[in-house]
Amino acid sequence: MLRIDLKDILERTVSDEYGDLVTRRTGQAVRQEIERDLARTGDGQAAAIDFGTVRCLDLSCADEIVGRLLREQGAVRPFVLLNVTPAHREALQFVLERHRLAVVVRDTGGAFDIVGALPDAARRVFGALTQTGTAAPEDLARRLDLSPDAAREALEDLLERGLVIAHAGTYGPPVT
Amino acid sequence: MTRVVEVPSSFDDRSFDQFAEGVAGGGAERLLFDAHATQWASPYGLVGLLAAGQAQSEGQRERPLLTLPADRDVAHYWARAGFFRHAAEYFELHGKVPRIAASGESDVLLEVTAVRGADDVHGVVDRIQERAAAILSRELGLEAQATMGFAMALSEACQNIVEHAGTLGWVAVQTYHWRRTLKRRVVVIAVADAGIGFRRSLEATQAKRYGDRWSDGTALEAVLVQGVSRFRDPGRGQGLAGIRRYLGRWSGKLSVRSGTARFTLVPPWDDDVPLAHGLAAFPGSQMLMIIPAQDGETAGHAAD
Repeated sequence: MLRIDLKDILERTVSDEYGDLVTRRTGQAVRQEIERDLARTGDGQAAAIDFGTVRCLDLSCADEIVGRLLREQGAVRPFVLLNVTPAHREALQFVLERHRLAVVVRDTGGAFDIVGALPDAARRVFGALTQTGTAAPEDLARRLDLSPDAAREALEDLLERGLVIAHAGTYGPPVT
Repeated sequence: MTRVVEVPSSFDDRSFDQFAEGVAGGGAERLLFDAHATQWASPYGLVGLLAAGQAQSEGQRERPLLTLPADRDVAHYWARAGFFRHAAEYFELHGKVPRIAASGESDVLLEVTAVRGADDVHGVVDRIQERAAAILSRELGLEAQATMGFAMALSEACQNIVEHAGTLGWVAVQTYHWRRTLKRRVVVIAVADAGIGFRRSLEATQAKRYGDRWSDGTALEAVLVQGVSRFRDPGRGQGLAGIRRYLGRWSGKLSVRSGTARFTLVPPWDDDVPLAHGLAAFPGSQMLMIIPAQDGETAGHAAD
């Protein structure tokens, strides 16, 4: 998995004095640098973007970095956002709802969740996956009292959105 | 010939329309902004006054005069708020500008600050987080998440100048006790510019859609209610909608004046009107955000 530290990106592109992701211009510069990093890796490889050093994330940057990356590269590779705070979540939720997109986030305590627009069934299945690690559709169906077809459908929905990865008949969050 | 524009005794968003009428009336004569009897000015009044001076300057008019408040305490507050640093550029000042010593403790969370570009927005967000987080939490009872949202709202408001005004603008942030109706401490963000305003900013992409209805009021509705932007990018136009949502969650007030109209997100504690038309024309746009101290009754009351 490609790991992208936003502190490094901010230092390389804008200023080493900034700890905030604000303004559309900053967002554009950061996204373009992330895209350069992504271009050096193969399609399909998951990318983790670390928000650990970001204090304020405004809507313009949330849209420019996460919204546009998901719109333009979400079909090519899964993304995971690391060390996301409740304040980051709020900005991301607002932006992703508008685009009908969703992304996997991991908070500073290590808990996974999905931020953005997602059907309840898929969100519930993802919640179960975060507790089991990886699972086959049948296991999830038993655990959640769903039909195997319903569990499989929710997992395929998550897979299509880049919110889980599939390997040898099992599914899991796109993080190792 | 010089025409006198009286700066209201209590100069805030409520008296701003009276001030705008004074600025708008008359012709090309030199203006004298008379603040000698002014007893109080909110951050909105101060940045609005700068915008009035800026409009004269950008309109190639003779540099206006400004008589300072006669009350020493009022003039001192204007100095502490950083008003005179910028005013000297646009006004011929009459009266003694107080010299103030630096003070760590102040209800001025952000002095009047010029916003020209993205770097200024970074500076504003950086300073407000350093100075305001503890005060917002201690005095207004805002959670940590809300103080970060506050920085977000401030950033988006400032970017509105950078993206749409076509000129520089100003921002100021202060806490004070809101005696009228609320009787509680509030934090106030005021942003103003004398740029092209919302109607002109959106004209090329939106005017045709509205036809004869196109006006300052419909331009404000398009931006604040429908999230319309002059850019084609579907990600644009979220800033003011995000500010609305943030303020709604904390029972805050948002008021945006542009040209001859004013749109207001009216919280339960205020009696303003949602949309005012036919006001005296004033250049650019002026934005006011008020967040009251939280208690069990108001927090989350008006979230949309």
